[in-house]
Amino acid sequence: MRAFEARNGAAVAELDAEERAVVARVIADVGLLLAGEAFGTQREQVETPEEELFRHLRGFEAALSDPEDPAVLRILPNAAPDDREVADEFRRLTEPDLRATKVERLRVIWEALNEDGPEWEVPADEAMSTAAALTDVRLVLAARLGLDTDEDADVLHREIEMAEHAMEAGVEGASSVNPERVWLGMLYQALTWLQESLMTYVMRDDV
Amino acid sequence: MIDASRTYPVGVSTQQQGVTDVVVATRLDDVWVTIVWNDPVNLMSYVTHVFQSYFGWSRERAQARMQEVHTEGKSVVSSGGREKMEIDVQAMHSFGLWATMQRSGQ
Repeated sequence: MRAFEARNGAAVAELDAEERAVVARVIADVGLLLAGEAFGTQREQVETPEEELFRHLRGFEAALSDPEDPAVLRILPNAAPDDREVADEFRRLTEPDLRATKVERLRVIWEALNEDGPEWEVPADEAMSTAAALTDVRLVLAARLGLDTDEDADVLHREIEMAEHAMEAGVEGASSVNPERVWLGMLYQALTWLQESLMTYVMRDDV
Repeated sequence: MIDASRTYPVGVSTQQQGVTDVVVATRLDDVWVTIVWNDPVNLMSYVTHVFQSYFGWSRERAQARMQEVHTEGKSVVSSGGREKMEIDVQAMHSFGLWATMQRSGQ
Protein backbone atom coordinates (compact mmCIF):
# COMPACT_ATOMS: atom_id res chain seq x y z
CA MET A 1 0.00 0.00 0.00
CA ARG A 2 1.29 3.45 -0.93
CA ALA A 3 -0.14 6.60 0.60
CA PHE A 4 -1.82 9.31 -1.45
CA GLU A 5 0.45 11.75 -3.22
CA ALA A 6 -0.08 14.50 -5.76
CA ARG A 7 0.23 13.24 -9.32
CA ASN A 8 -1.08 14.91 -12.50
CA GLY A 9 -3.58 17.10 -10.69
CA ALA A 10 -5.03 14.28 -8.60
CA ALA A 11 -4.31 12.38 -5.39
CA VAL A 12 -3.06 8.88 -6.19
CA ALA A 13 -2.59 5.97 -3.79
CA GLU A 14 -1.55 2.43 -4.65
CA LEU A 15 -3.21 -0.70 -3.30
CA ASP A 16 -2.53 -4.26 -4.38
CA ALA A 17 -5.44 -6.47 -5.45
CA GLU A 18 -5.97 -7.92 -1.98
CA GLU A 19 -5.88 -4.49 -0.31
CA ARG A 20 -8.35 -3.10 -2.86
CA ALA A 21 -10.69 -6.01 -2.25
CA VAL A 22 -10.59 -5.54 1.53
CA VAL A 23 -11.14 -1.77 1.38
CA ALA A 24 -13.91 -2.13 -1.24
CA ARG A 25 -15.57 -4.75 0.95
CA VAL A 26 -15.62 -2.59 4.09
CA ILE A 27 -16.89 0.38 2.05
CA ALA A 28 -19.70 -1.77 0.65
CA ASP A 29 -20.48 -2.97 4.19
CA VAL A 30 -20.89 0.61 5.45
CA GLY A 31 -23.02 1.42 2.39
CA LEU A 32 -25.20 -1.56 3.23
CA LEU A 33 -25.44 -0.42 6.84
CA LEU A 34 -26.60 3.07 5.76
CA ALA A 35 -28.72 2.29 2.72
CA GLY A 36 -29.93 -1.25 3.31
CA GLU A 37 -28.80 -2.19 -0.19
CA ALA A 38 -25.64 -3.66 -1.65
CA PHE A 39 -23.45 -1.77 -4.13
CA GLY A 40 -23.16 -3.44 -7.50
CA THR A 41 -26.77 -4.61 -7.62
CA GLN A 42 -29.08 -3.03 -10.15
CA ARG A 43 -31.94 -2.15 -7.87
CA GLU A 44 -33.60 0.28 -10.33
CA GLN A 45 -34.27 -2.44 -12.87
CA VAL A 46 -35.91 -4.91 -10.53
CA GLU A 47 -37.78 -2.61 -8.18
CA THR A 48 -41.46 -2.01 -8.75
CA PRO A 49 -42.99 1.38 -7.91
CA GLU A 50 -44.59 -0.17 -4.85
CA GLU A 51 -41.26 -1.49 -3.62
CA GLU A 52 -39.67 1.92 -4.14
CA LEU A 53 -42.48 3.55 -2.18
CA PHE A 54 -41.96 1.12 0.69
CA ARG A 55 -38.24 1.80 0.64
CA HIS A 56 -38.92 5.53 1.04
CA LEU A 57 -41.42 4.82 3.80
CA ARG A 58 -38.85 2.70 5.62
CA GLY A 59 -36.36 5.54 5.30
CA PHE A 60 -38.93 7.95 6.68
CA GLU A 61 -39.78 5.70 9.60
CA ALA A 62 -36.12 5.19 10.36
CA ALA A 63 -35.62 8.95 10.50
CA LEU A 64 -38.07 9.38 13.38
CA SER A 65 -35.84 7.99 16.08
CA ASP A 66 -32.16 7.40 16.84
CA PRO A 67 -30.63 4.45 14.97
CA GLU A 68 -30.37 1.35 17.17
CA ASP A 69 -27.00 0.26 15.79
CA PRO A 70 -24.27 2.20 17.68
CA ALA A 71 -22.16 2.29 14.51
CA VAL A 72 -24.92 4.04 12.56
CA LEU A 73 -25.46 6.37 15.52
CA ARG A 74 -21.79 7.37 15.20
CA ILE A 75 -22.25 8.58 11.63
CA LEU A 76 -25.77 9.96 12.19
CA PRO A 77 -25.45 11.22 15.77
CA ASN A 78 -28.09 12.70 18.03
CA ALA A 79 -27.97 16.48 17.47
CA ALA A 80 -29.44 17.45 20.86
CA PRO A 81 -28.98 14.76 23.55
CA ASP A 82 -30.73 16.88 26.21
CA ASP A 83 -33.71 17.93 24.10
CA ARG A 84 -35.80 15.13 22.60
CA GLU A 85 -37.98 17.51 20.55
CA VAL A 86 -35.00 19.29 18.96
CA ALA A 87 -33.20 15.98 18.32
CA ASP A 88 -36.23 14.36 16.65
CA GLU A 89 -36.96 17.44 14.54
CA PHE A 90 -33.34 17.57 13.39
CA ARG A 91 -33.34 13.89 12.48
CA ARG A 92 -36.64 14.15 10.61
CA LEU A 93 -35.36 17.14 8.59
CA THR A 94 -31.80 16.03 7.87
CA GLU A 95 -31.35 12.27 8.10
CA PRO A 96 -32.64 11.23 4.65
CA ASP A 97 -30.31 13.77 2.97
CA LEU A 98 -27.35 12.85 5.18
CA ARG A 99 -27.82 9.15 4.48
CA ALA A 100 -28.07 9.78 0.73
CA THR A 101 -24.95 11.99 0.72
CA LYS A 102 -22.91 9.46 2.68
CA VAL A 103 -24.04 6.47 0.59
CA GLU A 104 -23.28 8.29 -2.67
CA ARG A 105 -19.74 9.19 -1.50
CA LEU A 106 -19.12 5.56 -0.56
CA ARG A 107 -20.46 4.38 -3.90
CA VAL A 108 -18.00 6.63 -5.79
CA ILE A 109 -15.05 5.13 -3.88
CA TRP A 110 -16.37 1.60 -4.26
CA GLU A 111 -16.59 2.05 -8.03
CA ALA A 112 -13.05 3.51 -8.19
CA LEU A 113 -11.68 0.55 -6.25
CA ASN A 114 -13.38 -1.89 -8.61
CA GLU A 115 -11.43 -0.56 -11.58
CA ASP A 116 -8.38 -2.49 -12.74
CA GLY A 117 -4.84 -1.65 -11.69
CA PRO A 118 -3.13 -0.76 -8.42
CA GLU A 119 -3.70 2.99 -8.64
CA TRP A 120 -6.52 4.62 -6.70
CA GLU A 121 -6.84 8.04 -8.31
CA VAL A 122 -8.95 10.67 -6.55
CA PRO A 123 -9.58 13.85 -8.59
CA ALA A 124 -8.78 17.06 -6.69
CA ASP A 125 -12.46 18.07 -6.48
CA GLU A 126 -13.38 14.67 -4.95
CA ALA A 127 -10.62 14.63 -2.34
CA MET A 128 -12.71 16.05 0.52
CA SER A 129 -15.74 13.85 -0.20
CA THR A 130 -13.38 10.87 -0.26
CA ALA A 131 -11.85 11.93 3.07
CA ALA A 132 -15.36 12.34 4.51
CA ALA A 133 -16.32 8.84 3.32
CA LEU A 134 -13.14 7.41 4.86
CA THR A 135 -14.13 9.15 8.10
CA ASP A 136 -17.54 7.43 8.04
CA VAL A 137 -15.93 4.04 7.44
CA ARG A 138 -13.45 4.64 10.28
CA LEU A 139 -16.31 5.74 12.60
CA VAL A 140 -18.08 2.44 11.93
CA LEU A 141 -14.90 0.42 12.50
CA ALA A 142 -14.22 2.41 15.68
CA ALA A 143 -17.72 1.61 16.97
CA ARG A 144 -17.15 -2.10 16.29
CA LEU A 145 -13.77 -1.84 18.06
CA GLY A 146 -15.29 -0.02 21.04
CA LEU A 147 -13.15 3.12 20.58
CA ASP A 148 -15.02 5.70 22.64
CA THR A 149 -12.11 7.74 24.01
CA ASP A 150 -8.61 8.78 22.94
CA GLU A 151 -7.33 6.31 25.57
CA ASP A 152 -9.24 3.44 23.91
CA ALA A 153 -7.47 4.28 20.65
CA ASP A 154 -4.07 4.21 22.43
CA VAL A 155 -4.88 0.79 23.92
CA LEU A 156 -5.82 -0.58 20.48
CA HIS A 157 -2.55 0.73 19.09
CA ARG A 158 -0.58 -1.11 21.80
CA GLU A 159 -2.60 -4.31 21.31
CA ILE A 160 -1.78 -4.32 17.59
CA GLU A 161 1.91 -3.71 18.29
CA MET A 162 1.95 -6.66 20.70
CA ALA A 163 0.20 -8.89 18.17
CA GLU A 164 2.66 -7.82 15.46
CA HIS A 165 5.64 -8.59 17.70
CA ALA A 166 4.16 -12.00 18.46
CA MET A 167 3.66 -12.65 14.73
CA GLU A 168 7.21 -11.54 13.91
CA ALA A 169 8.56 -13.85 16.60
CA GLY A 170 6.55 -16.64 15.01
CA VAL A 171 4.75 -17.50 18.20
CA GLU A 172 1.28 -18.77 17.38
CA GLY A 173 -1.33 -17.65 19.87
CA ALA A 174 1.23 -15.81 21.98
CA SER A 175 -0.83 -12.65 21.82
CA SER A 176 -3.81 -12.49 24.14
CA VAL A 177 -5.61 -10.21 21.69
CA ASN A 178 -8.52 -11.57 19.66
CA PRO A 179 -7.25 -12.04 16.04
CA GLU A 180 -10.41 -10.55 14.57
CA ARG A 181 -9.89 -7.43 16.68
CA VAL A 182 -6.29 -7.19 15.51
CA TRP A 183 -7.36 -7.56 11.89
CA LEU A 184 -10.09 -4.89 12.18
CA GLY A 185 -7.70 -2.66 14.09
CA MET A 186 -5.04 -2.95 11.40
CA LEU A 187 -7.61 -2.13 8.73
CA TYR A 188 -8.67 0.90 10.81
CA GLN A 189 -5.04 2.05 11.09
CA ALA A 190 -4.42 1.59 7.36
CA LEU A 191 -7.48 3.70 6.51
CA THR A 192 -6.35 6.31 9.06
CA TRP A 193 -2.95 6.45 7.39
CA LEU A 194 -4.51 6.72 3.91
CA GLN A 195 -6.84 9.52 5.05
CA GLU A 196 -3.99 11.43 6.68
CA SER A 197 -2.00 11.30 3.42
CA LEU A 198 -5.09 12.46 1.52
CA MET A 199 -5.42 15.40 3.95
CA THR A 200 -1.79 16.34 3.32
CA TYR A 201 -2.75 16.54 -0.35
CA VAL A 202 -5.95 18.51 0.34
CA MET A 203 -4.19 20.96 2.66
CA ARG A 204 -1.08 21.49 0.54
CA ASP A 205 -2.09 25.08 -0.21
CA ASP A 206 -4.02 25.95 2.97
CA VAL A 207 -2.95 29.17 4.69
CA MET B 1 -9.10 13.24 17.93
CA ILE B 2 -5.97 11.66 16.67
CA ASP B 3 -2.87 13.12 15.15
CA ALA B 4 -1.87 10.45 12.65
CA SER B 5 0.77 12.82 11.32
CA ARG B 6 2.82 12.11 14.46
CA THR B 7 2.99 8.40 13.64
CA TYR B 8 3.91 9.00 10.03
CA PRO B 9 6.28 11.52 8.49
CA VAL B 10 3.71 14.21 7.81
CA GLY B 11 4.35 17.51 9.54
CA VAL B 12 1.49 19.61 10.84
CA SER B 13 2.33 22.35 13.29
CA THR B 14 -0.33 23.38 15.76
CA GLN B 15 -0.63 26.65 17.58
CA GLN B 16 -2.97 27.52 20.40
CA GLN B 17 -4.85 30.75 20.02
CA GLY B 18 -7.68 32.11 22.11
CA VAL B 19 -10.62 33.04 19.98
CA THR B 20 -13.96 34.07 21.40
CA ASP B 21 -17.28 33.86 19.61
CA VAL B 22 -19.24 37.06 19.37
CA VAL B 23 -22.93 36.46 19.80
CA VAL B 24 -25.05 38.94 17.91
CA ALA B 25 -28.74 38.72 18.73
CA THR B 26 -31.43 40.75 20.35
CA ARG B 27 -32.88 38.16 22.73
CA LEU B 28 -30.72 35.61 24.48
CA ASP B 29 -33.30 32.82 24.22
CA ASP B 30 -33.23 33.16 20.41
CA VAL B 31 -29.55 32.33 20.38
CA TRP B 32 -28.43 28.77 19.74
CA VAL B 33 -24.93 27.38 19.53
CA THR B 34 -23.29 24.56 17.60
CA ILE B 35 -20.81 22.52 19.62
CA VAL B 36 -18.22 20.13 18.20
CA TRP B 37 -17.15 17.36 20.61
CA ASN B 38 -13.89 15.45 20.78
CA ASP B 39 -13.87 11.88 19.49
CA PRO B 40 -11.04 9.36 19.11
CA VAL B 41 -11.49 8.90 15.35
CA ASN B 42 -11.37 12.24 13.58
CA LEU B 43 -7.99 13.42 12.35
CA MET B 44 -6.66 16.74 13.60
CA SER B 45 -5.71 17.72 10.06
CA TYR B 46 -9.17 16.82 8.75
CA VAL B 47 -11.04 18.73 11.49
CA THR B 48 -8.82 21.77 10.89
CA HIS B 49 -9.57 21.69 7.17
CA VAL B 50 -13.32 21.22 7.74
CA PHE B 51 -13.32 24.29 10.02
CA GLN B 52 -11.36 26.27 7.44
CA SER B 53 -13.42 25.29 4.43
CA TYR B 54 -16.88 25.40 6.05
CA PHE B 55 -16.54 28.42 8.37
CA GLY B 56 -14.06 30.29 6.18
CA TRP B 57 -11.51 30.58 9.00
CA SER B 58 -7.77 31.02 8.60
CA ARG B 59 -5.64 27.95 9.17
CA GLU B 60 -4.38 29.45 12.44
CA ARG B 61 -7.87 30.05 13.79
CA ALA B 62 -9.14 26.65 12.62
CA GLN B 63 -6.18 24.90 14.29
CA ALA B 64 -6.76 26.78 17.56
CA ARG B 65 -10.40 25.69 17.61
CA MET B 66 -9.48 22.11 16.69
CA GLN B 67 -6.99 22.11 19.59
CA GLU B 68 -9.72 23.36 21.91
CA VAL B 69 -11.95 20.43 20.89
CA HIS B 70 -9.07 18.05 21.51
CA THR B 71 -7.89 19.36 24.88
CA GLU B 72 -11.15 20.75 26.37
CA GLY B 73 -13.36 18.02 24.90
CA LYS B 74 -15.57 20.47 22.99
CA SER B 75 -15.73 23.85 21.36
CA VAL B 76 -18.54 26.23 20.38
CA VAL B 77 -18.01 26.71 16.65
CA SER B 78 -20.99 28.87 15.69
CA SER B 79 -23.99 30.68 17.12
CA GLY B 80 -27.20 32.12 15.75
CA GLY B 81 -30.82 31.19 15.13
CA ARG B 82 -32.02 27.61 15.52
CA GLU B 83 -32.46 27.06 11.76
CA LYS B 84 -28.93 28.29 11.05
CA MET B 85 -27.56 25.95 13.72
CA GLU B 86 -29.46 23.04 12.15
CA ILE B 87 -27.64 23.80 8.90
CA ASP B 88 -24.26 23.95 10.66
CA VAL B 89 -24.83 20.73 12.62
CA GLN B 90 -26.00 18.95 9.47
CA ALA B 91 -22.82 20.10 7.71
CA MET B 92 -20.65 18.85 10.59
CA HIS B 93 -22.48 15.49 10.56
CA SER B 94 -21.98 15.20 6.81
CA PHE B 95 -18.22 15.49 7.50
CA GLY B 96 -18.45 12.88 10.26
CA LEU B 97 -17.80 15.32 13.11
CA TRP B 98 -19.73 14.84 16.36
CA ALA B 99 -21.75 18.06 16.65
CA THR B 100 -24.75 19.06 18.75
CA MET B 101 -26.89 22.18 19.12
CA GLN B 102 -28.46 23.81 22.13
CA ARG B 103 -29.80 27.12 23.37
CA SER B 104 -27.00 29.50 24.29
CA GLY B 105 -26.33 29.62 28.02
CA GLN B 106 -27.69 26.12 28.71
